[in-house]
Amino acid sequence: MKPLFAFMKKEIMETARTGKLVILVLLFALFGVMNPAIAKLTPWMMEMLSDSLAESGLSVANVQVDAMTSWGQFFKNIPIALIAFVLIFSDSFTKEYRSGTLLLALTKGLPRDKVVLAKTVLLFSLWTLGYGLCFSITYGYTAYFWDNGIAQHLFSAAVMWWLFGVWVISFLVLFSSLLQNNTSVILCTGGMVLLAYVLRVIPKSKTYSPALLMNVNSLLSGVEGTKVYGGAVLVAAVSAVIFVALSVLNMNKRQV
Amino acid sequence: MEILTIENLKKNFGGKEVLRGLDLSVPEHSIFGFIGRNGVGKTTTMKAILGLLKPDSGQIHVCGEKVCFGQTRTNRHIGYLPDVPEFYTYMTSLEYLRFCGEISGMDKEDLATRSNELLELVGLGRERRRIKGFSRGMKQRLGIAQALLNRPKLLICDEPTSALDPVGRKEILDILLTAKEQTTILFSTHILSDVERICTEAAFLNDGKIAMRGTIEELRGMRPSDGFIIETEQKEDVGRLIKAFSDLKTGEHNTLTLHGGKERFFRIMQYVAENRIPIQRIERIEPTLETLFLEVTR
Repeated sequence: MKPLFAFMKKEIMETARTGKLVILVLLFALFGVMNPAIAKLTPWMMEMLSDSLAESGLSVANVQVDAMTSWGQFFKNIPIALIAFVLIFSDSFTKEYRSGTLLLALTKGLPRDKVVLAKTVLLFSLWTLGYGLCFSITYGYTAYFWDNGIAQHLFSAAVMWWLFGVWVISFLVLFSSLLQNNTSVILCTGGMVLLAYVLRVIPKSKTYSPALLMNVNSLLSGVEGTKVYGGAVLVAAVSAVIFVALSVLNMNKRQV
Repeated sequence: MEILTIENLKKNFGGKEVLRGLDLSVPEHSIFGFIGRNGVGKTTTMKAILGLLKPDSGQIHVCGEKVCFGQTRTNRHIGYLPDVPEFYTYMTSLEYLRFCGEISGMDKEDLATRSNELLELVGLGRERRRIKGFSRGMKQRLGIAQALLNRPKLLICDEPTSALDPVGRKEILDILLTAKEQTTILFSTHILSDVERICTEAAFLNDGKIAMRGTIEELRGMRPSDGFIIETEQKEDVGRLIKAFSDLKTGEHNTLTLHGGKERFFRIMQYVAENRIPIQRIERIEPTLETLFLEVTR
């Protein structure tokens, strides 16, 4: 366990000292503030635009905003935050291969599986931290302005989207263990999300595609219950574990 | 006792046969020079010893234990210094050594004393900056410190001096000479003066195999000297000697170079004595590793 903790400590130090942690916190905090702010400003923006809208034949009536508008913004913006997260951490492994820093650590007797595990745990933790921060800020402001109670299954919906992020990160790890540069890692990770999205079109696979976890509007409005997501949650969780295990196998075979 | 043995090591890269049945053994407490041109397979051999590359065939043993590709336990006996060592630049040298010690499972107290001792040895004891601001020479010295951290029985250095200026080179060679007391050193290079300065034994790698090996004296002795330099006192005597012996070649000042064995040399000496030509200096041309290297790699 000692090598694992030592490598994790190094990963934490790297995230903090290279400024990635600050960027992450600022990014997710900004999104967290933006969600209720946009909701709050919507009536004012509509009013500002009402004249030009009226000219094109649209009349703006009294715009009603509530907690649902704020959470609608949250789930609309979180994909952008996830993309930013993937971009920021896409070189977590590849940078080490390219620069040769991993070479010295491996020749010092660092077990290769610990490299994958330490980096995976850190990526999952950072995603949880960023996501949690964004959620908490949005929750706080939304509670201050409106009533969070009208959003049904709010916490379940949030967990669904968090799990989707974990699933995406697990194949970021998988591709990082296979490929040499971070551009390929980004492209393959994006390709996998797209594939999961396309698979949703096929009716039979719809309920099992992890991409379903992104679509939580019906859950929030109470149209559907959490049971609908059971298959997708299972597939996402199991495949994330499989992806990480495969990454360990790849890393063990990798010629550094 | 042999600290490292390599038998019939073969490695292909995309159809190109880099190692074609390499055999090598390195005795304990030697500084072993592993000599070869760029791209001849020195780094490939070293990475195979470290279990970082999978050989196509052949066996490697370190301290009697077999090296396996991937997760090899033999690395606990080895310290490795790559040609251009790369570190986590956001750390200080002490933090980096602590990291290395922790991943190799060193005892906390031993790690603290050993780190300070090694940083003093390589002249980085007072350096508080992060590695980001280090020069190449400083990185190389830190590289040696990390390689020696867990008291390895075998220290592998891949061209440690090739990217350095003369001052940096001297520093590294001096540190390696000091380290000799603690460990066996396998030292790859194409700089032959470095080998002559510090190595006790050497092997020439050519065409994927060991072309020649032995102690430095043995290697020098493999090609007996056949040349002499003769320097006359008077400039006009140079012309007289050339007239008499057309195979002599003129050099700087009043020097003449001869290649052609002892008999030829004695004939010239006889002529010198008979004609009473004053001589300033006579020197035998010692065979260098360089001439041997050029011959082997031709």
